[in-house]
Amino acid sequence: MTKQEFLAELKENLEIESEFNFDTKLQELEEWDSMTAMVLIGYVSENFDTILTSDDIESFNTVNDIIEKIGLAKFS
Amino acid sequence: MGSEILGIEYVFPDKKVTNEDLSSQFPDYDFSKFQKKVGISERYVVEEETALDLAIKACEKLFQRFDKNKIDFILYCSQSPEYFLPSTACILQDKIGVSKNTGAFDFNLGCSGYTYGISIAKSLIESKQCKNVLLVTSETYSRYINEKDMSNKAIFGDAASATLIGDSSESKIFDFLFGTDGSGYKKLIVRNGASKNNYNANAEEKVYGSGNSYTDNNLFMDGPEIFNFTLESIPGFVEEVLEKNKLEKQDIDQFIYHQANAFLLDTLRKRSKIEKDNFFINMHGGNTVSSTIPIALKEYSQTIENKQKIALIGFGVGLSWSGGIVEINKKL
Repeated sequence: MTKQEFLAELKENLEIESEFNFDTKLQELEEWDSMTAMVLIGYVSENFDTILTSDDIESFNTVNDIIEKIGLAKFS
Repeated sequence: MGSEILGIEYVFPDKKVTNEDLSSQFPDYDFSKFQKKVGISERYVVEEETALDLAIKACEKLFQRFDKNKIDFILYCSQSPEYFLPSTACILQDKIGVSKNTGAFDFNLGCSGYTYGISIAKSLIESKQCKNVLLVTSETYSRYINEKDMSNKAIFGDAASATLIGDSSESKIFDFLFGTDGSGYKKLIVRNGASKNNYNANAEEKVYGSGNSYTDNNLFMDGPEIFNFTLESIPGFVEEVLEKNKLEKQDIDQFIYHQANAFLLDTLRKRSKIEKDNFFINMHGGNTVSSTIPIALKEYSQTIENKQKIALIGFGVGLSWSGGIVEINKKL
């Protein structure tokens, strides 16, 4: 998966309707809540075999942070 | 010589709370998204009743079909005891009018409780210590949840179930396995009110997740961490249960897991590569803790015409998990 595809899939899975790019401040999104956290954990575990903890999720500022946590090597 | 599940009944309290009701209390939250993902549209909560009251109702419903005089053991699973002591199971024995020659005890487990109970019942029967076990699960988490804790109010519902397990010429309850990780005890907890910390009328209000409030007198759940625990532990555990029973995934007609939430269940289903048709998801009444599996098993059994192998898998607070295989050939 490319980073661009990841961004698009994330937007779709998390059902984010506002503008969404690599630098969007996640915590400022209207859609960012505990259910988003749950869906994010599910999506990342399914596609990357990586388990995100609640501390990870709290520490994420942007999509780039999520990519870094998953590991750049997993993106083409 | 074996044992089998003979019948199941369950009850919800009278008061129903719909997502519309919750929306009027929490107008800023989009419950349509919650309903779609988590799969819960209504839950029931007690007003004056206790878990014991619900348990009595579930047992009386079961006794409309089965002779209560044959019962010689009561297993009562609850984390909402009537008193610190005595065991609620003893009070239940008297209230439902079961013989005094009956063993009775409480066991304190949550979402893994029902599968534990089935296995204990099987052990008691197959070691010839008794013949008919009444397994009761009852929970009123609503009493622990803070009035301003939207997430937990939306997820959990109160309920009780009563299951009769009896001896049988053929073995219909197969092998069960267990797992425990007490290092995760703080992930789902009510901190105050028992021996470690007294109930504190002035407990400080804290905020977590989607702006939910709670105090240490209330139920607290670290949702993402509980989700991770199940993702990490349950798919491998299901494989172990199958292996222990010398069965393959395709030998199982239906997988019934603890009905925690629809999104979590579907994620677990995909991880274990189980077909949708073989995997039960029905969030009717919300997450009722130890009663979700008996409710689901009863509902699923209404479709059974021939003998089916069903995997029952419970997991949650403790952290604790357990599961095994049962064979069912009729409506329970």
